Amino acid sequence: MKQKTDVLQGTLALMVLKTLDVLGPLHGYGIARRIEQISGDLLAVNQGTLYPVLLKLEQEGAIASEWGASENNRRARFYRLTREGRKQLQVETQDWEQTAAIIGRFFDVKTEDL
Amino acid sequence: MKSLRRFLNRLFNSATRRAQEERLREEIAEHIALQTEENLRAGVSPVEARRQAMLKFGGVEAMKQDYRAERGLLFIENLLGDLRNAGRTICRMPGLAAVIIVSLAIGIGVNTTILSWIQMILFQPLPGVSGASNFLLVEPRTETGGYPGASWLEYRALQTQVPALRDVVAFQMVPFNVGETGQTERTFGQLVSGNYFSALGLKPAIGRFIRPEEAERPGTEPVIVISYDYWQTRFRGAPEAVGQKVRVNERDLIVIGVAPREFQGTMLPLKFELWAPATLAPALLGGTRDLEDRSIRAFSLIGMLRPGATREKAQAEFSTAMAQLARDYPEASAGIGGEIVPFWNAPRGPQRMLISGLAILQGVMLLLLLAVCGNTANLMLARGSTRQREMAVRVALGAGRWRIVSLVLSENMLLALLGASLGGAIAVWGTTALRVAPMIGSFPILFQTRVDELTLAFAILLGAACGLIFSAAPAVHLARLDPQDGLRSSSNTPPRSRARKVLMGVEVGLAMVVLIAAALFLQSFRSARQTDPRFRPEGVLLAAYDLSGRNPDEASEREFAARLLERLRSLPDVEAAAIATNVPLDLHGIPARPFTVQGRVRTEAGQDRAISNTVTPGYFKVMAIPLLEGNDFAEMGDRAAPAQAIVNEEFVRRYLNGADAIGRRIQTRAGSFAIIGVARNSVYDAFGEPAQPAVYFSYRDLPAIQGEIHLRTRSGNETALTSEARAVLRDLDPMLPLYDVRTFSQHIERNLYLRRIPARMFVVLGPLLLGLAAIGIYAVVSYAVARRTREIGVRLALGATSGRVVLQIIRENLGVITWGTAIGWVLALVISVRAITKGVVNLPVFIGVPAILLGVATLACWIPARKVSRIDPMVALRHE
Repeated sequence: MKQKTDVLQGTLALMVLKTLDVLGPLHGYGIARRIEQISGDLLAVNQGTLYPVLLKLEQEGAIASEWGASENNRRARFYRLTREGRKQLQVETQDWEQTAAIIGRFFDVKTEDL
Repeated sequence: MKSLRRFLNRLFNSATRRAQEERLREEIAEHIALQTEENLRAGVSPVEARRQAMLKFGGVEAMKQDYRAERGLLFIENLLGDLRNAGRTICRMPGLAAVIIVSLAIGIGVNTTILSWIQMILFQPLPGVSGASNFLLVEPRTETGGYPGASWLEYRALQTQVPALRDVVAFQMVPFNVGETGQTERTFGQLVSGNYFSALGLKPAIGRFIRPEEAERPGTEPVIVISYDYWQTRFRGAPEAVGQKVRVNERDLIVIGVAPREFQGTMLPLKFELWAPATLAPALLGGTRDLEDRSIRAFSLIGMLRPGATREKAQAEFSTAMAQLARDYPEASAGIGGEIVPFWNAPRGPQRMLISGLAILQGVMLLLLLAVCGNTANLMLARGSTRQREMAVRVALGAGRWRIVSLVLSENMLLALLGASLGGAIAVWGTTALRVAPMIGSFPILFQTRVDELTLAFAILLGAACGLIFSAAPAVHLARLDPQDGLRSSSNTPPRSRARKVLMGVEVGLAMVVLIAAALFLQSFRSARQTDPRFRPEGVLLAAYDLSGRNPDEASEREFAARLLERLRSLPDVEAAAIATNVPLDLHGIPARPFTVQGRVRTEAGQDRAISNTVTPGYFKVMAIPLLEGNDFAEMGDRAAPAQAIVNEEFVRRYLNGADAIGRRIQTRAGSFAIIGVARNSVYDAFGEPAQPAVYFSYRDLPAIQGEIHLRTRSGNETALTSEARAVLRDLDPMLPLYDVRTFSQHIERNLYLRRIPARMFVVLGPLLLGLAAIGIYAVVSYAVARRTREIGVRLALGATSGRVVLQIIRENLGVITWGTAIGWVLALVISVRAITKGVVNLPVFIGVPAILLGVATLACWIPARKVSRIDPMVALRHE
């Protein structure tokens, strides 16, 4: 479980960026829900860990935030992807795919191939 | 780029912490509210819905920590927090903080003041002259390492023979009597070469400066430049001052210009008022042969390197030129080489005394500051031990060691920097006060120092260093604390920290070393003053007359002196009277002249030299110098006796190997003289000088145009003779002024004045240091005693008398103090025997200083001890 979370922490930023890319501006809860839906139970606990990640991304300039009204007319903080964030997402998606491909090939290799 | 933006954002966020916290709180509330609604829709009860939402969100506080760490710069925020905390802590102990800040401020202030002086000498040695630190001193140097100065003719030769130096200038200090006869005032001026002002790059406030051609031929152009102050006080700053006549040493000189406001001449720290062309020397100084006699080395030379030239090149050229001069004029220049020295490192004169005095002072003051740091560390340790519980709580709540250290450090740094800023203020005040303070003595002295950015930076740096030094011990002490122990032990029983006692001992030891150094310095100065000059200056009046301008021949000079002496000796209060050409212990020194003596063959090149003074019969009686062999000179009217000379013991020892001197002949440029007597050695140039060979010639044989009258009074009140002496001279020649009237003691004081400056400082410094040591001991003991109030209350309740309690406290602390004193004593002894007195132990100092120190230390222990021993036991026991 612990290892799973570690992987999750590293990829959480990427998930946030992808979520905002697909769904447009969202508040923190919305992002958490989306990630939960897609990843299953991974983010079922410790949804709070999302917020430091959001802050980091915002300070790096990948996302921006502003106050807005939520679906039931409450004040909520909405996050959206910036142009820079889009670029970052592109780069990281490529990186990820490359890494995944390499790892995948390693798993495919069988003893007799060597 | 990304990380830079992140850093800037964090910096900004650190400033807007409150708003950010609020935002996070709102977001969390919103998140949980939305999750709760979601759960409600799923059909859970409201309470359960909220509980599950909170569970799902996870640990709020841990998340907040992460968030904060991500948001701002933890380091800066912690630092600000520490400083706020330090400010609060300091406000809670105003008395203690005041003692620390004030003693630090004194230490730092004094150090900064001294540094500003040293800095002035190094970087701005000539106020009003820009780039003055680039000047080099051009100093003739004898084989024996003396710096005799340069003669005028030597200067004229060097001007062209050291091409690496541009504009070598010459100057000498001279006393001036300004004003009409009878109402003259005495001031000091400089006789300068024609290029003096242009080489220094000065612009006149009004008028013009001396032109080169005005200092070409002797006796030309009676012009003078006055100082800005002189212009303001005597001429009220009127532009008409230029062209006015000023009567200087009985000559009318025309004011041609005013020097810039800050300029005070070229012999720091003396302040000169008048500058006249060097060629006026014979006119102003009673026919002095300064301009033609190569053995009168009255001038100092400075010059600046030409662009592209090096000091080595200048040195080489200078040495060559001096060697040439030694070949051409062996009787005046044999064995005299030369040295080019940076201006600040003057090998002689007032600057030399100043810089070495200051260097010693700076060292002593840094030691003093170290002692203050010791004090403060001690106080901090004493306080730190009462804060063990506080620190233990912090550690138990999860503060790291470094957080504790940085907490202690920030407190101490704040104290240190407060002390440094106050010290900077003291330095600013101190240098300003020194600038305006009138200096006592016959020399006008002015220090134009100021505190600038460099010295202020030095003050801050000192403060920071002090802070580090005195935080080290308490910080280590507290950081090693085990929270368990710290919490368990009551604040009322602080552990007996050995560090605290060791520090107190070290501090007392330091005070000991400095006090002994100060005492030795003072003693050596006083003993120099009390050194027997081997003549008796008390009861002797000196006055000068000058016949130049009357164009006398030898016969009339002799005649005048003889009549003058006859009249003076007839005065009822005069025990003995004599005239001499030179006075011992004169700032300018007595000339040494070459000679050959019968019965001595000089093996090495060059010539024998001896101090030479020409005196009338009766001189040895006035001076109380006994004649060991032979007789005094023949009377002035005696025409039969051959030319005579009297030599001193050292002369006989050095040049005649102790053989019988009487009857031998001495040959000088002036003729041949028979030795008729041997006088005892006495002091000629300076107290403490090694014995010098001397020859006295008789005024009868070598009459001079001017003379120094020596009068020994019968009554002991030599100043009372002044008016009678004046009357006698007026009778002989109504127009002839009697000048430079002073007692012999005043004459010596002038010579000693510059040595007195550092001695005076030590007089101030000693008590200051003793006071600081006492404050330190007092503070530490009273603090320690206050923490033991309960224990003392128990003792008193159990029947101990207050006397016993006091005695015990004193004994406990005095042990360490005694150790410190002893170690400091031994250290001072070693330094003194090795370096200062060379094997001689000054017993009164080495017994007296520790006695005083221990006395003061006991008092400093006794006061707080007595206070606590008088406490009501009931009150003491209730004391927290």
